Amino acid sequence: MATIIVDKIAKSFGATQAVKDVSFEVHPGEIFGLLGPNGSGKTTSIRVILDIYQPDSGSVTILDGPMTNEKLNYIGYIPEERGLYQDVPLDRCLTYLATLKGLTEDQIKERLPKYLAKFDLTEHAKKKAKELSKGMQQKGQLIAALIHDPEIIIIDEPFSALDPINTQLVKDLLIEQRNAGKTIVMCTHQMNQVEQLCDRLVLIDHGQVLLQGELSEIRNRFSTNEVIIDALNPLPEKLNGVSRIEKLNGAYRLSPQEGLSSHELLNELVTQGIKLNSFEVAVPTLDEIFIKVVKESGGTDE
Amino acid sequence: MNKTMNVARYEYLHHVGNKRFWISMVSVPLGFVLIIVFSMLLSFLAFDTRPVGIVDNGNLIQIEPDNSKPSTFFDPQIYLYVYPDESAARAAALAGEIQGFAVLPEDYTLNFQLTYWTNKQPDSDVQAEITNFISKNLMVAENIDSAVLNRINEGSHISLQSLDGSQTSDGTGWHRIFVPIVIGLLNFIVVMISGGYLLKALVEEKENRTIEIMLTSVPPREIMAGKIIGNLSVGLTQIIVWVLLLGIAGFVFRNQLGFLADINLSGSYVAISVALMVLSFLFSAALMATIGAAMTSTEESQGVIGLMVIPMMFPFYFFSVFLSNPNGILARVLSFIPLSAPLALSLRMAFSSVSPLEIGLIFVVIILLTLLMFWLSGVVFKRGMLQYSKRLSLKEIFNKETRNA
Repeated sequence: MATIIVDKIAKSFGATQAVKDVSFEVHPGEIFGLLGPNGSGKTTSIRVILDIYQPDSGSVTILDGPMTNEKLNYIGYIPEERGLYQDVPLDRCLTYLATLKGLTEDQIKERLPKYLAKFDLTEHAKKKAKELSKGMQQKGQLIAALIHDPEIIIIDEPFSALDPINTQLVKDLLIEQRNAGKTIVMCTHQMNQVEQLCDRLVLIDHGQVLLQGELSEIRNRFSTNEVIIDALNPLPEKLNGVSRIEKLNGAYRLSPQEGLSSHELLNELVTQGIKLNSFEVAVPTLDEIFIKVVKESGGTDE
Repeated sequence: MNKTMNVARYEYLHHVGNKRFWISMVSVPLGFVLIIVFSMLLSFLAFDTRPVGIVDNGNLIQIEPDNSKPSTFFDPQIYLYVYPDESAARAAALAGEIQGFAVLPEDYTLNFQLTYWTNKQPDSDVQAEITNFISKNLMVAENIDSAVLNRINEGSHISLQSLDGSQTSDGTGWHRIFVPIVIGLLNFIVVMISGGYLLKALVEEKENRTIEIMLTSVPPREIMAGKIIGNLSVGLTQIIVWVLLLGIAGFVFRNQLGFLADINLSGSYVAISVALMVLSFLFSAALMATIGAAMTSTEESQGVIGLMVIPMMFPFYFFSVFLSNPNGILARVLSFIPLSAPLALSLRMAFSSVSPLEIGLIFVVIILLTLLMFWLSGVVFKRGMLQYSKRLSLKEIFNKETRNA
């Protein structure tokens, strides 16, 4: 059973249609990627899910029903625009935000030191947010979103402002949460992170769904017969069975003629005496799929 | 409700636990005291305590001036010296021994006119001393008993009572003005300080984006309710501390503040004033929340908040109108405006009788206006709090299409 069901939601602001007929489902134990260019409607969709905005039409089902005040306690949210009280010590700020999620003082006393230690923030707990680096503030924000052990984690650009070590820390954390059966919705522009973490994704632009499904299935859908080879010698301008040769950085991308499989192309190359260091089927990256789909849909304004 | 109280507790402790709060708590009354002390000091220093001469050409003076009461800094006395002739008095005046001298002509009893010689405008106290001294002597000349004489000099003790019997006073104006002014000042300070905290908290949460986290934890109405309760409690804490300080100061200086003993406040007067102050704060809080949600930065909101001061100060600007015509149109209109009502109505009730029907109507109007402002703040809060970089326009607030955003 899906934890989040978004069913044909639409939302307008004046004459601007921010979201139109967006539908998707997110299940427990998966990391779901909500992707799209800037201004595509991602944040509006999230705010509708979180009941900050009321949809003009459509509905959102959270944990088997509409959003309630009680269910807010089961959600951990990190917005794109980070928010901590700048003039308040970190531990006091996190304590306050945890009480708003329904934690008792005893629960906070038990959990907060563990999270601070986990994120290497113990010695900074008494510092005000404005005295912390962006990365530290980001980690503080993560604690605020996770301390109440939410069933649903919605996280917008989780890796911004993080160095590689902390990026890995957050990735491990998200995987840990997924393995614990939590439902995770992740918005990001960093497609390499999506490829590493997301099980399924939805791509929206101009408020509409352009693409959704499992990551592997989407890749297959956009894969071609193209191959990438690393040859010992430069290739001639024309090769039998190849309709197009594109020179890459130290390699070649070959498009086989219609009807020719990658196996058959490999045979053709060997037959023609091409000496190969490597031969691989070109699987499109998510970046490439993202750009292709967005451009085909009319592109982004930004 | 639990989360509302969590928000309220945080707001309260955040401000009360801040040393800036205690600095303002102490500095505001201290500032008032310093201003009063300074102005009193200036007044005392400017007061000419030199004696005044009397030259009696009409042979009216039967009793010598009573210069037995000691003159102190806080209770200065102007002594009268009788001089045998004008030249002696003039010499003393030129030498600076006396500040001036009054010459009673031979025919004083015919037209009661005398000449006061001086190079400076005499204080009212000087004129009173001369008049009293001559009156006493005239009465002695008429063989009026000294006890009667003293009683006449004391004058009548007039006790005023409002038509509905709710307020009484001894007829002097000081204490009747004192209570409404205290109410007006407390209302002004609490609204500006507590309301200022509320506005600052909202704008900062918008500036640092904390509001988005808040909105995914607590429904907007509970956030607003918590903030208003928390900041109202901050204001009430200030009032309680200041009233306690005033009480202590009143007790310590009870001899110097004798007029305070004449204050006779009815329970209904206190209840109406306190209720109006609470309503005024709630209205201001909703107004501040509206401003905070619509603005994009603290600096921007501070400019708008300055406009709120104007209606709050109206009763002070038109003080003389309240004294001369407490039930006139202006005084009545200001009684219906939430920001000016606490001072306006308390002044009117102190100087006249306001009908229960009108008081009831004032409450109904102010409650309705407060509810309207809360509704508006809810609309603006929902629309504006997540609009980070752009000020909310009036068109956007009242646009039906975008109301649900």
